[in-house]
Formats: sequence, structure tokens, C-alpha cells
Amino acid sequence: MVQILVYGAVISAIYAMLAVGFTLIFGVARILNLAHGSFYALGAYGVYTFTAVAHLPLWLASVLAVLFVAVFGMAMERVLVRPLRRSMLAVLLITLAVALMVEQVLLLVFGSEARNVPSMVNATYHFAGVDISAQRLLALLGGILILTGLWLFMQRTRLGSAILAISQDAEAAQYMGIPSDRIYSIVMGLSAGIAAAAGVLVAPFQTVIPGMGLLPLVKAFAIVVVGGLGSIPGSIVGALLLGYTETIIAFKISIEWSQIVSVAAVLITLILRPAGFFGKRAAF
Amino acid sequence: MRKNLLVSSMLAFALTITFGTAEPAMAQQAKPIRIGVNTAIQVQVGRDAIDAVKMAIDEINGQGGVLGRKLEITVADEGEAATEGPKVGIAAVNKLTSDEHVDVLIGGYDSGVTLAELPHIARAKTIFLGIGSASPSIQQKVKDDYERYKYIFRVNPINSAKQAKALLNFITGKLKDDLGYTKVSILGENAKWVQDMVPAIKKGAEAAGLQVPIAEFFDVQTADFSPIFAKVKSSGSQYLIVIISHAASDVFVKQWYDAKVPVPIGGIDVKSMDANFFKRVGGKSIAEVSANFVLRAPLTPKTIPWWDKFVSLYKRAPVYTAPGAYDAVYIYADAVKRAGTTKADAVIKELEKTDYIGTRGRVQFDALHEVKDGPGFVNELFVQWQKNGERVVIWPKELANGKMINPPWLAQK
Repeated sequence: MVQILVYGAVISAIYAMLAVGFTLIFGVARILNLAHGSFYALGAYGVYTFTAVAHLPLWLASVLAVLFVAVFGMAMERVLVRPLRRSMLAVLLITLAVALMVEQVLLLVFGSEARNVPSMVNATYHFAGVDISAQRLLALLGGILILTGLWLFMQRTRLGSAILAISQDAEAAQYMGIPSDRIYSIVMGLSAGIAAAAGVLVAPFQTVIPGMGLLPLVKAFAIVVVGGLGSIPGSIVGALLLGYTETIIAFKISIEWSQIVSVAAVLITLILRPAGFFGKRAAF
Repeated sequence: MRKNLLVSSMLAFALTITFGTAEPAMAQQAKPIRIGVNTAIQVQVGRDAIDAVKMAIDEINGQGGVLGRKLEITVADEGEAATEGPKVGIAAVNKLTSDEHVDVLIGGYDSGVTLAELPHIARAKTIFLGIGSASPSIQQKVKDDYERYKYIFRVNPINSAKQAKALLNFITGKLKDDLGYTKVSILGENAKWVQDMVPAIKKGAEAAGLQVPIAEFFDVQTADFSPIFAKVKSSGSQYLIVIISHAASDVFVKQWYDAKVPVPIGGIDVKSMDANFFKRVGGKSIAEVSANFVLRAPLTPKTIPWWDKFVSLYKRAPVYTAPGAYDAVYIYADAVKRAGTTKADAVIKELEKTDYIGTRGRVQFDALHEVKDGPGFVNELFVQWQKNGERVVIWPKELANGKMINPPWLAQK
């Protein structure tokens, strides 16, 4: 029981980090970003490159990886997405193209073999019948800190208010003098950075392979559909729901069945409540 | 072929008289024998297969080739089955047979992909020497429809049913009889060759008097093994048998090590056969046992010289596909020599008579064109990662060269 509680929390935190960025950029800029999983993969490969190739200390490598991906996200928004933003379909396609390109480049540069990222902390904890590595607890802690930080940033800063204003009514916000283009760029950087942080935190206990971005994208997608596309509280609730359901199924039934949860959740939500739990209207 | 030779000799003669040179005739006669290698080029099993084929080709060409013809390699990528499915493999086979017109195919890695390729190989009437995939269903085709599938041979590895037998032998011989374990769990990835294997092992282990509290499959995409480790631990299992190839072996051992799971692991872990696996997972595969087919040990007089030459040429230790690929080239070359032609039908007759001392043991094919295994033939070895990434054979008993150890967080036996 405690196992499910702890492991579910770790998975939910990772999912929440992925989903929040995905929903944020949609809520603010109406960008359905299929390259979101690539940010996660680039984060993991970034930390691998900075540690194994450039021999930097792990904490520095992690920070650099997150910054690098945030800049990559902003550049992608500026160069590829912005000119096409009028058409949602074009944005969808260009982000899909970026996702495929990132995967192929990683394949060419690193090959398809899994890469090893060392753990940031090496201890193992045993309590109440749970064996858990410190790295997983760190991922949980990192997730909570990042999400809390994001919440405070949105609620307490002028920039955060500007972002919220744009997400509520882009046109009105623009008339009030909020520079929407710059906000979009910042939000894309934030979204990419948070996804990269998730990649960095899980890389030591996950596979670092070129195709690693696909599954997180599917999960993020499922979570925001369940939670309501564009809603941050919705995506956190969705992450908890999906994370815990998967964990319960994995522990009580079979890990083989846990993968079907996200797909089933999307299906059920779209049939019963197309807008998701916290969505105002159906996004599709 | 005879007719062709006659025609070409006459043509050569005429040309010699006309132009005073024999070059066109030489070119005609020296048309190389083309070996197509279909494999997953991105992973070490694929790279090693290619390099081992090249190594054998260079040696044979150095001795003048086969029937006065040089050997030549052409490679096509089968892709990574876990992410791309069988379509890339089918395209690779079709490219090699219809565009490149190879005389023989040597390759295969994923059984699902190989099975999907078989109809295409059969239609192209091209000999296929399998060196990587292990499902018994592949060679079963030869039995089911010999005329259509006689082109299919497996040089390496021994098939998964036979591997299952070897693994069962390890479980009952080593784990039960030597170490006195009574409870063993089994975990296998959900792939064709494992689906064939797990039920057989469970049944065999139970028949031998062992309890098998957990026998489960997991998806090849699985990224988190904690639930299964927790289950195995609470089941009171004393050993966890894993059967894993395409899935993330490295994630599996890393999570096992990080959580200090109090149950040792071992079985068939294809990626753990790689010589650099220990390094790749930061030493976290310590005490994992993995079946292997080749090691730097005197399995035959050829093994050690071959191993050392491979290492000196390519600066890395070979994985299981390499000895198979190397042997396959020689086995094919010998069959062509004996047949006096590269015509598939004649070569197949000779391949069926193969009796060849290779790098892993003596190679003969059974009625299903399957490499024979067991004492005197090709064997499966159980090898454990020990301190500093050294590999020690712990089973079968007669080939063992060291003692089995426990992971560092458990008491040593």
C-alpha cells in the first residue's frame, strides 16, 4: 500500500512536469506542441552529453541541459512556429516535423543504444516495506519544487499575470499593452525547460534512447485531455489520476496492463466529457 | 551455369582473338559472389555481424576466393524492431534480393522481423543463413513447407525452445541442486521468442519441484520495473529469471541495483551479452547472470584465435551474432565449393550435409535446417558479471571457470 503511494507519487510528479508545460503552451498560445516529448529527450541527452562527453559535474550538466532545451524551445517558437501560428494544422505539422527531426538527429549522433546517465544520489531507502532509490525521491522532490515555483511565478509576478491575461483573452491583453509575441516565446521556453527538467531527473533510472520522447508525449497528451486542455490544475489532477491508476494496475494486476490506462482514459474522457475535468470547452 | 560458362568461355576466346586481350573474360569469370547482410545496423549485434562477415570474406578472398570468384558484402538495415516493426526488415530483404541480386543472405536479429521476411526470402529463392533470431517458428516453416522454405537455415543462435531447455537446466541444476533454492520467479518481455519460452520454463521448473510464484510478461516499452520488483520481493522468491532482448535491459538492471532488490537476477539478457554492457550501465549489472554463446574460452581450437583477431581488428569484444556470422560465411563458402556453383538448389543440398568446426562448436543442421546443440555441438553458456566487469562462466558445470557470487547488498554464499 505504502509502495503504491510512494511510487505513484513519483510517477505522478514526472507526468505533471510533462503535462503542465504541454498544457501551458496550448492554453496561452494555442500551440499544440507535438515536439514536447523531444524536449524531454533532449534534456536527458543534454545531461548525458555534458557529463559523459564534456565531463562536467552532474549538477552543472543538469542546469545547462535545462537551459539549453529552454533556448531550443524558444528558438523553435521564433523560427518555425511563429510564422505559421495562424493555422493550427500547420503548427501541428511543424512541431511533428521537429519531433521527428530531433529523434533522427539523436539517432545519427548517438546511435540507438541506450546511454547511461549516472545517478545524482546513490542511496537506497527502505521504509514500511518500500525499497526506493534516492534518485526517484529526488525526481519527486524536483517535480514538487518546480511546480510550486511555477505556481508562485504565475500568481505573484507581473510576468505571470501577463501570461494569465493572455491565456484568458489574447486580444484584450494585447490592447492592454502586453507584448504577446514575447510572452509566447517565454512560455515556450518555460514549457521546454520543465519538460527537460523531467528528462534530466528521470534519465538515471530510465532509458536514454532517441525514441524516448514519444511515450511522454502520449502521456502528456492523455493527461491534458483528461484534465482539460489549457488548464494547469487540470493537468496536475490528470497526472495524479493517471500516475496512480497506472501504479495500482502495475502493482495489483500486471505491468503489462498499465500501459493501456492512458489510452483508455483519453477514450473515456472524450466520450463522456470532451472538455476534460477542468476544461471550459472541448478543444477538438 | 555450365552452359553460361561454356558460352562465356567461347565468347572470351573470340574476344581474345579479336582484341588480343582476355580482360572481358576475366571480368565475366570474376563476377563476385555477393553476400547480403540484413541486420539492425544501429546496435552492436548488427555491427558485429557486419564486421564478422567482412572478416571472413577478407580471409577467404585472401586465399583466392571461392570457385575463383571473390566474395563481396552488401548491407541493408533491418531497423530496430521495438520501435519500427517488421516493415524496415522486409524492405531490406527486398532491396538485397531484387535490387542487389545477392547470392545469399546472412542476418536476422528480431524473430518477429525474420518471420515477416520469410515469405519474401522464399519468393526470391535466396538462401538465408540466420545468425540472430531465435524463434523455433522460423525453422518450423522448413518442416511445414519444405519446397517453399528450404532456403532458410539457422546457423546461430540455438533456438529459443532449446535455449529454454538450457535455461531450465541452469535453474534446476545450478539454482535448485547446487544452491538449494526452492522459489524462483520468471519475468519475460512480451516478444515472440519469449512467449514461446516462459510457459515451458515454468512447467519444467515446477515439474522439478520448484515453486514459481510469478511468471509474467512485460511490454518491451516498459520504463518502470519497480512494481514487478516489489511483487517478486514480497513473493519470497530467491531468484528472478529474466528473459529480455529488445526491451530496456539497462533500465532493468539499473532499477534493480538502485532499489537493492534482495533477489539476484539472471537468465537470458541479450544486451547483457555485449562486452561493454557492464560499463554502459555503470557497473550496475554486477552479479547478473546472462546466457551467452561465445566467450574467450577454448570452445573449439578456432575460438580464441578468432576472438583475438576480432578484438585486434575492431577494438572491441564480439557479441553473439559475430561468431555466427563468421561461421555462416565459411559454411556457405564451403557448400558453394562442394556444389561447384552458387545455384541455390545445389548449394542447399550441400548445406544440408554441413559438418563444420566453427568458432562456437561443431555445426551440423537437423532436418529443419536448425543448428544442432548439446555436447559436442554448439552450447549455451551461463556467464556472470563479476568484479570490474569480468565475466565468469558458472554453468554448465563442465565448462565453469569460477564461482557464482551474490550481489553486493546480499550475503555472499
